[in-house]
Amino acid sequence: MNASPPATSPEGVFAFFAALGADEDLFTAALQAATAWGADHAELYFQHSASTSLGLSDRKVNRAHTSVDLGVGVRVVVGDQVGYAYTEDLSREAVLAAARVASQIARGVGRPAVVEVPRVSGHPSFYPIDRLWTDVDLAERMPLVRAWEEGAFAADARVRNVQVDLGDGESRVLIARADGVRVADFRPMTTAWLSTTVEGESGRETGSYNLAARDGLRFYTPDRQGRMVAQAVQRAVQALDAGSPPAGEMPVVMAAGSSGILLHEAIGHGLEADFNRKDISIFASKMDQTVASAEVTVVDDATIPGSRGALNIDDEGNPTEKTVLVEGGVLRSYLHDSISARHYGVKPTGSGRRQSFRHAPLPRMRATYMEAGPHDPAEIIASTERGIYCEDFANGQVQIGGGDFAFYVRFGYLIENGRLTRPIKDVNLIGNGPKVLAAIDMVGNDLKIDEGGWTCGKDGQGVPVSQGMPTVRVAKLSVGGGR
Amino acid sequence: MSASASEAQGLLDLAADLVAKARALGADEVSVGVSASSDVQLSRRDGKVEEAKEARTRRVGVRLLVDDRYSSHSTSDLRPEALEAFLARAVEASRYLEPDADRRLPPADDCGRGSAEAHLDHLDPAHAAFTAEDRAAWALAVEQAILALRDDRFISATAYTADGHGLHAQATSHGFADTTESAWYGAGGMLTLRDEGDRRPEGFSWFGARYRTDLPTVEAIAAEADRRAREAIGAAPAPSGTYPMILANHAAGRILGLLSGPLGGYALHHGRSCLADKLDAAIASEALTLRDDPTIPRGLASTPWDGDLRRAVPRTIVERGVLRSFYIDQFHARRLGRAPTTGGRTNWVVEPGSEPWEAVAKRFPKAILVTGFLGGNANGTTGDFSYGIRGQLLEHGEPVQPLAEMNVSGNLLTLFPKLLAVGTDVWTHSPVRSPTLVFDDVSFSGT
Repeated sequence: MNASPPATSPEGVFAFFAALGADEDLFTAALQAATAWGADHAELYFQHSASTSLGLSDRKVNRAHTSVDLGVGVRVVVGDQVGYAYTEDLSREAVLAAARVASQIARGVGRPAVVEVPRVSGHPSFYPIDRLWTDVDLAERMPLVRAWEEGAFAADARVRNVQVDLGDGESRVLIARADGVRVADFRPMTTAWLSTTVEGESGRETGSYNLAARDGLRFYTPDRQGRMVAQAVQRAVQALDAGSPPAGEMPVVMAAGSSGILLHEAIGHGLEADFNRKDISIFASKMDQTVASAEVTVVDDATIPGSRGALNIDDEGNPTEKTVLVEGGVLRSYLHDSISARHYGVKPTGSGRRQSFRHAPLPRMRATYMEAGPHDPAEIIASTERGIYCEDFANGQVQIGGGDFAFYVRFGYLIENGRLTRPIKDVNLIGNGPKVLAAIDMVGNDLKIDEGGWTCGKDGQGVPVSQGMPTVRVAKLSVGGGR
Repeated sequence: MSASASEAQGLLDLAADLVAKARALGADEVSVGVSASSDVQLSRRDGKVEEAKEARTRRVGVRLLVDDRYSSHSTSDLRPEALEAFLARAVEASRYLEPDADRRLPPADDCGRGSAEAHLDHLDPAHAAFTAEDRAAWALAVEQAILALRDDRFISATAYTADGHGLHAQATSHGFADTTESAWYGAGGMLTLRDEGDRRPEGFSWFGARYRTDLPTVEAIAAEADRRAREAIGAAPAPSGTYPMILANHAAGRILGLLSGPLGGYALHHGRSCLADKLDAAIASEALTLRDDPTIPRGLASTPWDGDLRRAVPRTIVERGVLRSFYIDQFHARRLGRAPTTGGRTNWVVEPGSEPWEAVAKRFPKAILVTGFLGGNANGTTGDFSYGIRGQLLEHGEPVQPLAEMNVSGNLLTLFPKLLAVGTDVWTHSPVRSPTLVFDDVSFSGT
């Protein structure tokens, strides 16, 4: 008898679900039930995920949480209409019942569907891991968490309080489609968060830093750990002396890295094709037109090895890719799922994603960033007479139709006469997507993909994403200062 | 026994069984929650169903103390053999941790019901008879009400309806055993209109209720989405500066919510609260009286017990501007060496004033009416906040310019003392039941 396939291989994932009764017999029967009234597309999305987090506070590793999720979602698509049902019970009766519920959408409108002969397809591997998180017991994680806490206290005498969370997850996904596609993926994830409170003469402040990747324990190199500890302390200490910038419109220089939040909000969501096929995005009917200055090239990339936004296949079972959205300022592609790809007569971009088996997939971002430009970052700051420099970000939001978007800056500096001067903190920036893209007048040569754990929300579904940016200057944004 | 009563008993039996099994595996204290819920969501666009989604879900949550070592766990894999393995792993994982006796359960005497199920009135008896045909007709009615408002600015509209039912059973090793049952309904609309250039202003409305008859009419749901979209036509920023801020009742939760974090036991304990030394001190003008009431019949955030299973009772948070209570759960109470209150916010009720806000607004040559937010955040350690807004520039109470691309910024310690007036128009469709609030001298950034 052959050895069993590696747990992280597609074969290993198929075997995992087969052991739970989810095998070809069930797939065929459920897909036949799902397409009984006809369908353009139908799929089963099986998922098992297990996660663990370990928490430190008050100088003790005194909290652990584990979570298990198992179920299958059934989707039936007719044109742009979607029927969806899910069950956490993988018994034949329960899965067939869910399939019958989802099939109802096609009643009276569906075209006869044929459930095709199954064909298993492979895919690239953008996040191989050498060791499963389920093989790393808590005793092995404790020293990491402890070391980060001790490092933070040792870094600065003003540190009063440290909190740490170390989390990991392993998700197994199996997709069986009426068109015969059978595909499976093993998706690891790890996140670390370190937060500090410091006390200075002016009062107390907090700072935090986080890391995330589709990787195993080896992700925590000494270099990364050191950076997280140093940054979590430095951010709190810097904030002690930071103030509010003036209010109003001014030039804004965005530091390389997590500034990608600007792209995510200013253009990323607006290019998700569901908003465009419904004609409700400000970017609808802008294809092949100039939407940004010529220095701007924006991509959304599922293929960055080990990144939080990486995906071997999307959640519809389609291959993923690096999608060029804007090239030299010209709009080149939306982010497509299979519904929008059919609508526009193009290939899907592998952007159909969902939070879990409880949700139907939607076009979503993966890792969104701007390609590097010609300018030295120091030159960008030096050529800015008065404005702000933004270094550390929290959340953002956008109105799809109006194009107005906002993002929150935790920390940065005033720019006065081409130099970084007073530190600033806690300020919301607001602008209009197309106007801001046109106002990007300098792009740096220092592209950096942020290593933090961003989560993107849409229609109540959160998915892990990455973002990146070179140093960039926006000639004008409204800064919520003046406190 | 009704079908749902016997199902509730089944969940409670499972919870009690898991408590016993965890004890047998070596856990000293155990609290287990088992929930079973179902919901149906419909959306309609372009005269047809866009998405029909049906969900049935069951989940087990377990909190354990093993030799005073604390961990929590949850799973949706309820196969008996999977549950046994899950529980064994959970108890085993706890043993690696450091002891923390502050995580022990509250005294059994403090736990129980603050309100009877009958008083909470969370279960619309009509929900059990709500059929697929009723749902389809309801979604269609919302869509038709929106489409009836179509004019030449119309681009697209989506109608949303949803309803659900939930059962929850909770059992502990110290004798707590109880169940709750509830239903809910929600409906709303999203409307996108044409504006000058490429702008497509959008308006979104959403209303939730425990009884379907408590929801506004489909015409009112449609009118609210339409109004919000139309208000954004021609929106542009006003000059930066300080203005009186008139905060619409349905949007007040964002600004009132600034108080939430700094009032919590977590922030107090970790030195992250700008309100830490303010108990029984004035933190707002006398116009603000804020109560937390988990006992409101049919209230969206009403509950019989809190997160520690303590009896949920009403409390005064702010009384005529004076801070009267923090939110301190059992764990942080032990850490802080103070008496626990409760860890969780429920319905927030702001006492209405005596004069409609429109009358107050007439007295200002210029003011900004804030009707919604875009992005933004706050720092509970310092009280600083900064949010993007949408709204209207008012002159003597009359709207003269729709606003976009503007931020409001300030600090909660200086904002709430400048609360000039509280309106009379209490919003009842969310857990924050506030009238429109009027603040003086607030900083806005625009052009």
